[in-house]
Amino acid sequence: MATRSLPLKKRGFTFEVFMWAFTRFTVIAMYGLMLAGIIGGLFVSASTGSNFGEILYGAFFPNIARNLMDSDVLTILAKLMVIAFILSAVGHGVHGVLEIFDDYVTGEGARRWARNIVITYAIIASLIAMYIIWTK
Amino acid sequence: MSLKRDVSLSAALGYKGQGPYLTYILHRIGGSVLFIFFTIYILALLGVQVAIGILSNWVFQIVFVPFMLFHAINGLRITILDLSPKLIEHFRTAINIEWVVYALVTIFALFVILRSAFGG
Repeated sequence: MATRSLPLKKRGFTFEVFMWAFTRFTVIAMYGLMLAGIIGGLFVSASTGSNFGEILYGAFFPNIARNLMDSDVLTILAKLMVIAFILSAVGHGVHGVLEIFDDYVTGEGARRWARNIVITYAIIASLIAMYIIWTK
Repeated sequence: MSLKRDVSLSAALGYKGQGPYLTYILHRIGGSVLFIFFTIYILALLGVQVAIGILSNWVFQIVFVPFMLFHAINGLRITILDLSPKLIEHFRTAINIEWVVYALVTIFALFVILRSAFGG
């Protein structure tokens, strides 16, 4: 099967190209953060003797779980990583959800409303997540 | 312009695209499941007890984890093929490898969930 590939420069910088690149970059950021999170979690698990799953649970649910990090630097680093992961996931997810809506919501007005609701929801949810994870 | 697409899920799954189309539609379902999961996660962060209960419920985990894992593993395959256009020639092989990886990871994840649920 012959393959066709067009360099980014020749594709032009349209909205579709931007969103394609944005979706790819956010997902690569997420995979990178997952890898860093697993390595970091194993490091903390080895140094504190805590359960790996409970370390991740504590990082993602600081409001209900105990913080198992053994230093302030690690706690701040974990908070920053979780916030970065959530922002990447939201950025990636917004585009995916909008794409699904665009396929199944066919009216112009309904499509515009769907876009506004999804983007507003993503912003509010991100702000809530950032605030709780940083302050708890 | 208004589009009209009346394609049922059964018709979509029977589409001649077969394997690649199945991954496409499962990727979308997985993304939608992740959207629901994210909403429950935000509610749990806000301290809503029902949301916390749902997240720690093993039935919820059994249902959601396979879809979420599929989305992550299929997304990795899409990203690799997107960033290495020469590999697109082997996309059917890539999908077969993906199914094997997915099966192994999902079986392991389900085993861990069930063991945790039943106190093994």
